[in-house]
Amino acid sequence: MIAIQKNNTINLARLQSLIALLFLCAIIAILSDKFLTMDNGWNVLRQIAVNVCISVGMTLIVLTAGIDLSVGSVLALCGAITAGLLKNGVKVPAADLFIGFTILGALLAGIIAGALLGWFNGFVITKFKVPPFVATLAMLTIARGLTMLWTQGHPISNLGPAFSVIGTGWFLGIPVPVWIAGVVVLLAIFITRQTRLGRYIYAIGGNENAAILSGISINKVKLIVYSIAGALAAVGGIMVTSRLDSAQPNAGTGYELDAIAAVVIGGTSLSGGKGSIGGTVMGAVIIGVLNNGLVLLNVSPFWQQVVKGAVILVAVIIDKGGKKK
Amino acid sequence: MARKIVKYLLLVLIVGLLAYNSVYIKKLSEVQTKEAAAFDAASFAEKRWVTQLPARLDSAVALDVLQSTIKTNPAFAFQNWFNSISIGNIRYGLVKVNGKVLSVNEDDVTILAGNATDPLTLTITTEYVYGNAIRDAARLVDINDFVNTTDLNNVSEEVNKLVRKRVLPAFKAQVKKADSISCTGAIELNQAHYSLNELEIIPVQCKIIQQ
Repeated sequence: MIAIQKNNTINLARLQSLIALLFLCAIIAILSDKFLTMDNGWNVLRQIAVNVCISVGMTLIVLTAGIDLSVGSVLALCGAITAGLLKNGVKVPAADLFIGFTILGALLAGIIAGALLGWFNGFVITKFKVPPFVATLAMLTIARGLTMLWTQGHPISNLGPAFSVIGTGWFLGIPVPVWIAGVVVLLAIFITRQTRLGRYIYAIGGNENAAILSGISINKVKLIVYSIAGALAAVGGIMVTSRLDSAQPNAGTGYELDAIAAVVIGGTSLSGGKGSIGGTVMGAVIIGVLNNGLVLLNVSPFWQQVVKGAVILVAVIIDKGGKKK
Repeated sequence: MARKIVKYLLLVLIVGLLAYNSVYIKKLSEVQTKEAAAFDAASFAEKRWVTQLPARLDSAVALDVLQSTIKTNPAFAFQNWFNSISIGNIRYGLVKVNGKVLSVNEDDVTILAGNATDPLTLTITTEYVYGNAIRDAARLVDINDFVNTTDLNNVSEEVNKLVRKRVLPAFKAQVKKADSISCTGAIELNQAHYSLNELEIIPVQCKIIQQ
């Protein structure tokens, strides 16, 4: 009975998001004739792809009742590491050695760097019992500073046409970033629904003490979850870098807020234990369509922030209202 | 046990394969020799500064001519006197200005110039010289000659350095309020929303006519 009720609540949340999305699309389509075009559709999906990757990682963290404010900075740092290694390699003058990186090598290095930064977040949170908000806030600044050090404040550009395929290419008529986001989403759905790790994530977010008593190694699960989120931020960073053919030191600023917004709008509870990857994808689409619509309607960037904030607020209020009922 | 060994062997094989396809190793000295033979933006800029820039400065449009033409035929003005090698509406042009110094400020010099009937207040930058304005306004590069944008940007940087080194110190040392000056430099206009008010000139050649 409880399970049926829980399922109904999740379905209702998804239905609310879907209705909100359709309503939003209808309004923008009426006000702008450019909205319902194929070019714009692909453009929106391309832009959403980055937020989807970050938001999926954020969902896993929020499900454990945590939060990660550092994803935007981690995205920038990993994009810069990938670009820097691809373009400049590593020079070891003492040994007269130049280690060059292929695209595969640079991608792996970027993703591993992201996972390590995420792991460090998890380590600080679990080992020193620092609240996730504070630990990841510190990482936000650290990663941004490291990005500035790595890039010396300058963009790393001209990464080559082969690398650009990741952010601008097409495969089977669909943009490559959309494929990447799709694979990330499917893997995340598989992890949350079909694996032990997924069940542990929900259990920790639902009731951490009960999870400990059940024998779940919550520190290990949190370390894995934060590492996954870091790696996914790195994937987002690689997509952004590839799309711009340039790693910008200030890339990803404010992306953490878009990711949190997608998670919240998608119906994931900030107190953990409730939510879904599907909901987050829906939230990311709503944020993406909203961003696109506001640009198409020539709304001032300052007002865009106000509108986005208001939408998040309304989503949270509706979510709270739904839960009370 | 055997299953575990196979599992670890497979893991090592995958990691090895990935590592093999991820990095390549060369002698640093060889790489550096190749890099040294690469494009030298400083020499390129110096050469263009000496061989091409004087003629381009001579053919710069006078501000009063630009002022009247842009009102009557903006398309002609942008087509003939402005240039850009990047996408978007920003265009750069070389303009010749004769005017009277209104004030000498920390970062710029404000002058009164333009048509006698419709004078304009302009600023001549004397501190912050950045961007591609001079490179593009003087048509110093052909984008097809460059294989990457870093080299292109480096040309701008080197040209700007020459302005900072060769043009600004002498001008800043001499210019005073109420001087009559003649200056040729680069301006930036948005061809979709242009206005000559509050125009900023990045100087390439400045002379004080009367003190």
